[in-house]
Amino acid sequence: MSIGKIYEKTRLWIILVITFCLPLVVSNNYWLHILNLGGIFAVCTLSLNLLTGCTGLFSVGHIAYYGIGAYTAAILSTRFGVPFLIALPCSGLVAMFFGILLGMPALRLKGLYLAISTLAFGEIAYKVFLNWNEVTNGTKGIRGIKAPVLFGINFSTYRAYYYIVMIVLVITIVLMRNLIHSRVGRALLSIRESEIAAAAMGVNTVLYKILAFAASSFFAGIAGCLYAYEVHFISPESFVSQESTTVLAMMVVGGIGSIAGSIVGAFALTIIPEVLRFVGDIRLVLYGAAIVAIIIFVPKGLGGFLEWLDQILMGKVKKQIPEEGE
Amino acid sequence: MAILETRNLGITFDGLVALEGVNFAAEEGKITAVIGPNGAGKTTFFNLIAGFYQPTDGTVVFDGKDVTALKAYQRAEAGIARTFQNINLFKDMSVMDNALVGMHCKGKSGVLRCMFRTPLERREDREFRKQVMEYLDLMGLADYAEEKAGSLSYGMQKNLEIARALALKPRVLLLDEPASGLNTQDLETLSSRIGKIRDLGITVVLIEHKMDVVMSISDHIAVLNFGKKIADGTPEEISSNPEVIEAYLGKEDD
Repeated sequence: MSIGKIYEKTRLWIILVITFCLPLVVSNNYWLHILNLGGIFAVCTLSLNLLTGCTGLFSVGHIAYYGIGAYTAAILSTRFGVPFLIALPCSGLVAMFFGILLGMPALRLKGLYLAISTLAFGEIAYKVFLNWNEVTNGTKGIRGIKAPVLFGINFSTYRAYYYIVMIVLVITIVLMRNLIHSRVGRALLSIRESEIAAAAMGVNTVLYKILAFAASSFFAGIAGCLYAYEVHFISPESFVSQESTTVLAMMVVGGIGSIAGSIVGAFALTIIPEVLRFVGDIRLVLYGAAIVAIIIFVPKGLGGFLEWLDQILMGKVKKQIPEEGE
Repeated sequence: MAILETRNLGITFDGLVALEGVNFAAEEGKITAVIGPNGAGKTTFFNLIAGFYQPTDGTVVFDGKDVTALKAYQRAEAGIARTFQNINLFKDMSVMDNALVGMHCKGKSGVLRCMFRTPLERREDREFRKQVMEYLDLMGLADYAEEKAGSLSYGMQKNLEIARALALKPRVLLLDEPASGLNTQDLETLSSRIGKIRDLGITVVLIEHKMDVVMSISDHIAVLNFGKKIADGTPEEISSNPEVIEAYLGKEDD
């Protein structure tokens, strides 16, 4: 067996083992927290990628669904004592409800107009978090979200919670991957590529766009729930529109439409600003410069770069296509 | 028997009459050509049949049923497939995936089945890939199944358009200028393939400018000029019709 073959067979396991062992090496709570946030944002970016990267529907207010998921989890947990395993899908479902609600009128809009309407939705969601005191507790936010307890184990440390985040992330990756490479996924991609041709192939484009909104907001809500349990305290400030931009940047830096890209982009843009802390106030400038550099020098994104590296390591050479003829 | 008919079909864009009172019929299992000078309204006519435009007048009848109210995707579902004059492929998707989108309507797997890759979904997917391969093979694309559609040569992209439309397993296939931009050798292959498609039992309606192709493969020809049908008949009748000659060559006195 060649090295390429061995690599091809084992690469998934290597990544899983590294993921599993990482908290055993990283002992610093601060860095474990950053890793958890990276994983949570990866779920959120994957959800945005399904809507924007795969279906071509621009969402600039994606953090709204994430916020709705987080508030759902926080309220269910602190007021009703709902356990984590029930709060998690509920957060997704509530976010999905709003995703469909926004998706239906938004379908009449295209391109920039759709982008603006999602931006507006993000702002509205933020204002609701801020002002609906009875439910969201306004600017004071909701505190005291207790760590999940599963099978008698209390996941109160960052290290323990890391495993929950990673398990949800892995499940999300598998589901997204399956979806994109299926009949439904192809229908979504075809809408992005050419709505007219998609309709000519019998794809009910309206239905599938709503479906993209629903699935996307569901996973964003799941990510929001993970976030609420990670920080134990949520306030509207975590769901400002700047955060939507961050998620969008994670997707673009990773490579639009790429699953690997969304994950790498999310981790990279969560970790880079933290690594840059030593430079002081100038760090956000460097962070911005890093994003611009990635977009210019790696046009297919970090994910595209990794996929290229992956192909090389597997020893697969791209087949040449003849110019003309059959 | 006519499988596809239009009755008094017409459409007006902002007061401009693009098509008026077109009565047209395509016999089942035959190749019918729609010809006419540039701007005669041929592509508009196709868009009306495929449901991309709503007519201002008249009806489209498919398989004995009035389908005028159906949307484009519903007509595709019913069995009307089309290709586009300006290639309209899913460029960033593989050749195989392009053709698989064509099979969309035949599939039953919904979101959850797809997400969890249930055995049913897997079986369906496997079956579809096998069937799609036949159409790719017919159009000479079997070796390029994993290539990106956008990376294919012009001629191959045109072939993929047809393969993708065939994957719908349509009863009527609308081909919008399949021969445009092809060289002589490719033209012959195309003609024989269109013949094979008819032999599969699919009714072919094509718009074409290349007269030699039209005359050699069509069973029936309809001629449009300035949005109206001016003639209708066998290739022999059409080629000797004075009105058609006038539309193409201009009046002798001018």
